[in-house]
Amino acid sequence: MAIKNKILIVEDEASIANFVSTILTVNDYDVMIAARGKEAYSIITSQCPDLVILDLGLPDMEGIELIKATREWSQIPIVVVSARSRERDKVEALDLGADDYITKPFGTSELLARIRMALRHAVSRGGNSQVIQTGIFKTGDLTIDYDKWQVFVRGENVHLTQNEFKIVSLLGLHAGKVLTYDYILQELWGPAAKGDNKILRVNMANIRRKLEKNPAEPEYIFTEVGVGYRMAE
Amino acid sequence: MLKKLGKQIKRICLVSWQDTYVFFCISGSAIIICLLLQRIGKSDIHISAIFTLAVMLVSRMTNGYLYGGLATVLGVFAVNYAFTYPYYSFNFSLSGYPVSFITMFSVSLITCTMTSNIKMQEQMRMEVEREKIKATLLRAISHDLRTPLTAIIGATSTVLENKDELSDEKQRELLEEVVEESRWLIQMVENLLSITKINSEEMKIHKQEEVVEEVLSDAIHKFRVRYPKVKLVVNLPEEILIVPMDAMLIVQVLNNLLENAVIHAINYTKIEISVKEKGESVEFIVADDGNGIYPELLPHIFDEKYLNRTQHQRSDGTKSMGIGLSVCWSIIRAHGGEISASNRPEGGAEFKFTLPMGEETK
Repeated sequence: MAIKNKILIVEDEASIANFVSTILTVNDYDVMIAARGKEAYSIITSQCPDLVILDLGLPDMEGIELIKATREWSQIPIVVVSARSRERDKVEALDLGADDYITKPFGTSELLARIRMALRHAVSRGGNSQVIQTGIFKTGDLTIDYDKWQVFVRGENVHLTQNEFKIVSLLGLHAGKVLTYDYILQELWGPAAKGDNKILRVNMANIRRKLEKNPAEPEYIFTEVGVGYRMAE
Repeated sequence: MLKKLGKQIKRICLVSWQDTYVFFCISGSAIIICLLLQRIGKSDIHISAIFTLAVMLVSRMTNGYLYGGLATVLGVFAVNYAFTYPYYSFNFSLSGYPVSFITMFSVSLITCTMTSNIKMQEQMRMEVEREKIKATLLRAISHDLRTPLTAIIGATSTVLENKDELSDEKQRELLEEVVEESRWLIQMVENLLSITKINSEEMKIHKQEEVVEEVLSDAIHKFRVRYPKVKLVVNLPEEILIVPMDAMLIVQVLNNLLENAVIHAINYTKIEISVKEKGESVEFIVADDGNGIYPELLPHIFDEKYLNRTQHQRSDGTKSMGIGLSVCWSIIRAHGGEISASNRPEGGAEFKFTLPMGEETK
């Protein structure tokens, strides 16, 4: 018998916790539920779940605080659930170390996809293992060659500037994961670049024109409005 | 109790720069006029009248009682000190002094009270108006919410109570309907949320520079998930357009317009989205090639008050957009842009909106 992944649902709305736990159980996960932040934290420390689904609006503490407390000692994947009215919270959550977010209301397939991805990333933390081993990232018709600093789309070599290549390669290394503007800026230009993301946005618009057939319907690099960018897996 | 008293005092002693300015201007003018009159002639008769007028004007043009009171005190002392015999000294035993004081004070008190009352009445009238709009909106919303909720309860309880009698296929059909109705409810709630975001704090929104195609791609992605079969054509300019906006709200506008096309356009084959630069703003167009909008609806299409207009469109069984279009209107206006609807000469409806590219804040 395969070992089931243990998932902790931190959610104070019983009806939502109930339906999420039903889907997860059906899909072969072990499920624990906590309605309060303190209870959740004690489960995280004592039971070591493989993944946490965290609603940011909890009755006893801010979900953000729970992420901070957990990230001090653990890299366990955290998928944040946020309502639309709290847009800024999800960026903060991601910057504090949450792995992904999903906005209420969400569909079951979307939720499962996010969970699968977060679990996969937990195994290869610090970057896509395929990239680290082979030096090559591939998704659809897009190939990034990390050793030769080259990008190919539909077989053709695409000429990117140095910054453009850095952005694309960073997204490729963390493919599937949403990288916030601040994170990308910091990785590329150091901590001083934080805050002003206009250079990044313009660079990205240029990249999109070079890689995508139709910039309004991208196949490779997706925009998460107000949050950041995500490379297709 | 203490708080209430504090509020009362605050209401009476309203302090503001504008009122202070008014107070100094009027009192100053009164003093200057009196000084001039004093130079010209020897008559003291006008002095009291001029100060009484000043007191009245200050009371009328400022809020609360504070400035009117100040003007009274100033007037009384000025009249006593400078403009009545003996000049440039106080003489409180002067006959008639209490009379002039009481007169000015009464004028000030009465004018201040009247001014406050008028202002309060104006405010009340506006509030009543707003309440009326709110009530209309609420009525329309509750009506629009009740229909899908009835369908959801109906379908789910049918499945729950008749599980054995219903075929799997029928059950599936009913549940799919529940999903569809719930999606519509979500759209409705998102719209309501957008309204609250704008209406609070006098239409102030949080603008940030956004790349147009990123916002567009988000809206298109959402639309594709919901309506995978609809043909969508996108025309984007080659250059990178950066526009200050609240991205989530503009996505909402695009979603509403796209959805509106799907729900209301009859006999359409495709929906077209175009973006182009137009002077100092960027123009977005969402068009379809269906039968167009009823001409009699066009002038009122974004108007909340005409929510019930959708009745005769609904007779064909489709759902109303509810508050969707008026939400679009509010969002675009809050951005300082324009939105309009028309029928294209080649057929089909066309919704256009513009967003200013400049940094101007509204």
